[in-house]
Amino acid sequence: MNLCQADTRPAWCPGCGNYAILKAFDRAVAESGLDGRKLVVVSGIGQAAKLPHYVARPANVFNGLHGRALPAATGIKLANHELTVVVASGDGDMYGEGGNHLLHAVRRNIGVKAFVHDNQVYGLTEGQASPTSDPGFVTKVQTHGVVSLPMNPLAIAIVEEASFVARSFSGDGEHLVEMMKLALAADGFALLDILQPCVTFNRTNTFKWYKDRVRLVPAGHDPRDRDAALRLAFAWGERIPIGVYWRSERPSFESLCDALKDRPLAAPLG
Amino acid sequence: MDINIRIAGEAGQGVQSVGGLLVGALAAQGLHVLATQSYMSRIRGGLNWFDVRVGDSELHGPREKADLLVALTDAALRVLGGELTSHGLAIFDGEQAGGAAAIPFTAVAKELAQSAVMANTVAAGAVYRALGYDLEFLSGHLRKLFAKKGDEIVEKNLRCAARGAELAEGLAGKLEAPRAGRSPRSVVSGASAIGLGAATAGVKLVAAYPMTPGTGVLTDLAARADRYGIVVEQAEDEIAAINMVCGAVYAGAPALATTSGGGFALMVEGLSLAGMMELPAVVVIAQRPGPATGLPTRTAQQDLRFAVHAGHGEFARAIYAPGTHAQCFELTRRALETAHRFQTPALILTDQYLQDVQKNIEPLDESPRPIDRCLTAGGADSQRYAVTDSGVSPRAVPGGDAFVVCDSDEHTPDGHITEDIDAHLAQTEKRLRKLRAMTAEALPPALYGPADAQTLLICWGSTYGPCREAVDRLNDFGGSYEMLHFPQVWPINAPAVSALLGWRQRVIVVEGNQTAQFAGILKEHGVIGPVETCLRYDGLPFTAEYIMERVRR
Repeated sequence: MNLCQADTRPAWCPGCGNYAILKAFDRAVAESGLDGRKLVVVSGIGQAAKLPHYVARPANVFNGLHGRALPAATGIKLANHELTVVVASGDGDMYGEGGNHLLHAVRRNIGVKAFVHDNQVYGLTEGQASPTSDPGFVTKVQTHGVVSLPMNPLAIAIVEEASFVARSFSGDGEHLVEMMKLALAADGFALLDILQPCVTFNRTNTFKWYKDRVRLVPAGHDPRDRDAALRLAFAWGERIPIGVYWRSERPSFESLCDALKDRPLAAPLG
Repeated sequence: MDINIRIAGEAGQGVQSVGGLLVGALAAQGLHVLATQSYMSRIRGGLNWFDVRVGDSELHGPREKADLLVALTDAALRVLGGELTSHGLAIFDGEQAGGAAAIPFTAVAKELAQSAVMANTVAAGAVYRALGYDLEFLSGHLRKLFAKKGDEIVEKNLRCAARGAELAEGLAGKLEAPRAGRSPRSVVSGASAIGLGAATAGVKLVAAYPMTPGTGVLTDLAARADRYGIVVEQAEDEIAAINMVCGAVYAGAPALATTSGGGFALMVEGLSLAGMMELPAVVVIAQRPGPATGLPTRTAQQDLRFAVHAGHGEFARAIYAPGTHAQCFELTRRALETAHRFQTPALILTDQYLQDVQKNIEPLDESPRPIDRCLTAGGADSQRYAVTDSGVSPRAVPGGDAFVVCDSDEHTPDGHITEDIDAHLAQTEKRLRKLRAMTAEALPPALYGPADAQTLLICWGSTYGPCREAVDRLNDFGGSYEMLHFPQVWPINAPAVSALLGWRQRVIVVEGNQTAQFAGILKEHGVIGPVETCLRYDGLPFTAEYIMERVRR
């Protein structure tokens, strides 16, 4: 049975925030002057994790296991640190199944750029709560509403001193491209949390919900001020800041590996 | 002619130090040594022992009982005093002891060197005299060992050794000990031979979460990292370790994970990923008795079926099971080669006994001889999963001209996600087609002993040595025994194995588990019918005595 024709277009719903993120990704890669042959887009499983298959300009792709994009990306970066390694992931993949790896990727400060499509809901498995769902969020599984507090990945990344921590919104294309470019240029680990509506399974955090709340990070914010960065990370509700929360001067993990001083561990042929 | 010396005491008391000292000195003196460790999962207390078997010819396995027990605690004397051979002797660290020669090692060391640590040297001196060996061999070894620590330390050690020998004067000549000859000087453990095999084969990334008894290989490679240019990363868990390995080999760096059964259980999804993405991931699994946490510091061959079947879905794998130190070295290399040639995972099954067993062998070649990664340069239009007759597609790595697209979902030949039924069939059949060549090239099992003997002992992995000794001794007593040892346990080349079996009166499968796992695998392949088994699953290693007692009629 030839189902190939059904496979060529994105598997996302019409109106999904992923389209805007994909568009921004393509622009950020192009405007950063990245050669697709030196770029590896790594992902796990979920709707966001399908992004590597849809990028406009060809690149290397490692679409691995659910939750395991970060360790795979770490292995790739260590094998050849001259490659740009980007992880495309969702809130379930990165903060749920892969939460432990996030803690340790930040701790290492490995030079991997994590773009997390955060729609506060599980899409591919059809509408269960995610680690970033707000309390009270009702689903077919959380029938009385979510009880647990949402995870605060940005605060975690700030506390553990990632090189770069930022938030953006799929509804603000220009801002998103800028944040992606800054993340791509950062040394060490970069976490970019991208707020994104899920038009099918999240009727609470809609496009309008986000649009009404996102505000640019105040112009005077010093991204090297940890307390100020943490205040931004905890600002959630009527106002949600988007922009660069935090930067650190920590050297990347790979820059501290003796074995990588002279050349990458692995070189391609040709 | 051989003798078994057992040093026993609490964890943290220096059992390993005395043992290590004796191994080094006796090997340097031209004796064959084989040292095994039996320890509890604790850092202090309990009862640990270190066996040093010494012989005038090559030794292949441990012994059940000791000829000379050096007991550092009451418990050691109480528990192990009954495990001596009929002519065995015991020395006890103290002023007096029933049934043992009392030599106060610790008190002597404190008196002569103001240090309890040198009790180890006093004990070694006593052992040397009890065996009737020239103390100068031990002294020479001590001079070399402590040269860097200065003359004072050397002198104190020499005095301690001499006093230990003096105090053991009454034991001299009571034990017959092997005479020194010429023996190979390189003392290695199984774990270290695996580490060296990996390092010289060009492994560039090692990712692991520490787990006994697999940690030995991790530690060994960490020690070699600077010389061979290896990144060793202690992962947050075994899931991370296997996924790091998958990422690294995808990008072209040969990589290895080391673990034990429980850790491998966590790696299983990652192993399946390597099968699907066709990545040359290699994992060393050092077995210990399970289930669950089981006996963390004991030995077993219980994870064979687990290794054969680990991972959801169907994919090709090769599983090696070294039986000697030389095989630890060579088969690690072979596993890496196979994984790269066939772009599929390879596993190395060892166990606590093999990881820890030390022996003096001909020096292994430490020069780097990187394996062929079997890569192609590829171009912009190259397809990572091109369908081929062999099932192996040309493989490029990122950073060159090719765009390397790999997916854990079923994929088209260019690596992109698909749910197309025809594409799935083409890929899944391609992946399994590799098994044809992998089976044809599987290492054949090796026969040992007189040809066409009436009884055939079948074994795999670390039971090689004990089984081989059992065969020799059974034949010395007029038996007719031969051994068939499998250094590779998957895939099985059934016709080739059947040809080696021939007709036998008895076939006995010897393995370290309760369910005769390998016998089952051979039966599934139609290689053997009903057979006898000789199983050991108490957590201790096989010995020739153990096998002989059970196979003799």
